[in-house]
Amino acid sequence: MAAPRSTERVDDEGPLYRAFLEKREALLLFLAARTRCMATAEDLLQDLYLKLHGLDDEAAVRAPAGLLYRMATNVLVDHVRSRDRSARRDASWRQETRSTLAGEDVAEEAAADEALIAQERVRLLAEAVAELPPQMGRAFRLHKLKGLTQAQTAQAMGVSVKMVEQHIQAAVRNLTRRLRP
Amino acid sequence: MSGRTISQERAAANAGAWLARLQRDDLTAADAEAFDAWLAETPDNAEAYREALAVWHEFEAVAPEVGAELAELGRRQALRQGVSRRRWIVGGGLAAAAALTVAVLPQISGQPDVQVYATGKGEHRRIALSDGSTIDLNAESQLSVAYSRKGRDVVLADGEAIFDVAHDPKRPFVVEASGRMVRVLGTQFDVRNRDRALSVTVARGKVQVSPVAASSAQAFVLTPGQRLRIDPEGVGRLASVDPAEAFGWRTGRLVYRDEPLADVVADLNRQFVRQIEISDPELARMPITGVIVIDDQDAVVARLGLMLPVRSVPSERGTLLLRK
Repeated sequence: MAAPRSTERVDDEGPLYRAFLEKREALLLFLAARTRCMATAEDLLQDLYLKLHGLDDEAAVRAPAGLLYRMATNVLVDHVRSRDRSARRDASWRQETRSTLAGEDVAEEAAADEALIAQERVRLLAEAVAELPPQMGRAFRLHKLKGLTQAQTAQAMGVSVKMVEQHIQAAVRNLTRRLRP
Repeated sequence: MSGRTISQERAAANAGAWLARLQRDDLTAADAEAFDAWLAETPDNAEAYREALAVWHEFEAVAPEVGAELAELGRRQALRQGVSRRRWIVGGGLAAAAALTVAVLPQISGQPDVQVYATGKGEHRRIALSDGSTIDLNAESQLSVAYSRKGRDVVLADGEAIFDVAHDPKRPFVVEASGRMVRVLGTQFDVRNRDRALSVTVARGKVQVSPVAASSAQAFVLTPGQRLRIDPEGVGRLASVDPAEAFGWRTGRLVYRDEPLADVVADLNRQFVRQIEISDPELARMPITGVIVIDDQDAVVARLGLMLPVRSVPSERGTLLLRK
């Protein structure tokens, strides 16, 4: 796994930087929970790294990991608000033609047979969701596919936010087991 | 069943829980640090999480397309249901017979139906089995249940569970844990399999505990109010106990009689994500006698302070216990 270029030439030996290098992998996995892909998570991690420069290292000495995760949480919450969710809500969810496939990087310049493979995979993903228990499937569709927040999903379904989280948890387990490579 | 280990299965269950938790609208740095601690527990956790993440990202990338496909599937299904409903009117008897055959099939195929259950930190779960038996699973526990016509086989790979077994003389209920078999007909008992030590406490009925492999190790028969403990070296000891104490965890009460603080903290750390650490080994050996109600973690730590001369300070993983 390649580290971002700038982390390789860290000349500062402060505890915050050491903590960053030590926690790099965990921070990446944390950020990736809400990004579109691993590459976006890497970008966010890079943003976070750049923010370390402006910080007084002394203040962070006592609990560097705590500070890093506070920063990571802020980065993530800001990122989600500014990009993923709004972009998705504006996206053509209701547009039911396959032409939307072309908007995705996978299919953008893909050859015809690659597009066919991508289409087949979409069908498999959809079937796996269709076979979830009804309430679990509904929570997953609203939250993950339509991009509603957990609270909005709870409101739409008339259940508690905690229940939505449980449905999502079970759906992730079920879908991962079925669809993992 | 796939060839995954129990640890991998548990990691997979927890990975789903974490991925869901990290989607919370009010995500905090405390969630993030708890996630970090979970990742660090075992390499299986990061691997399971990456696996779940890969599927999660895949859905993210093609969400509109999957949504469209689902809408299409829904339309086709509605169409099929329309057709089959019409057929039902014509040949209702035939359709009913076919449905019955499908329902009976799993019973006669002879293949036991294996279900795996796992709980994470602070998670309790009640499992209702098809024969009316119930299993209460304590936090950080993993068991599998295989029911067949000949028997009811449960493997408690790790953790603790209370079994309330429906009487069925034709199908013995057998729990395997830590190299022993606990065999019963109909009874209520607790099995704890943690850190290679086994403990069985009986509230009702009678159970037999014997080695899984043929060996010269002793078999024990337990009656209500008895507890058998087998240490990692295989030495077994019988004691009289109040079963209500051993069963207390189900209702959020942990009862201890002269247990070292280290063991008590190990139990507590299975109930809360924020971890408690003990500053020195001598403190870890101090015995505790009393009841700890599992509600709010800060209150639990404060109660420890009433039972032992300890005070607590925040630490990176949660709470550090120091000698007063």
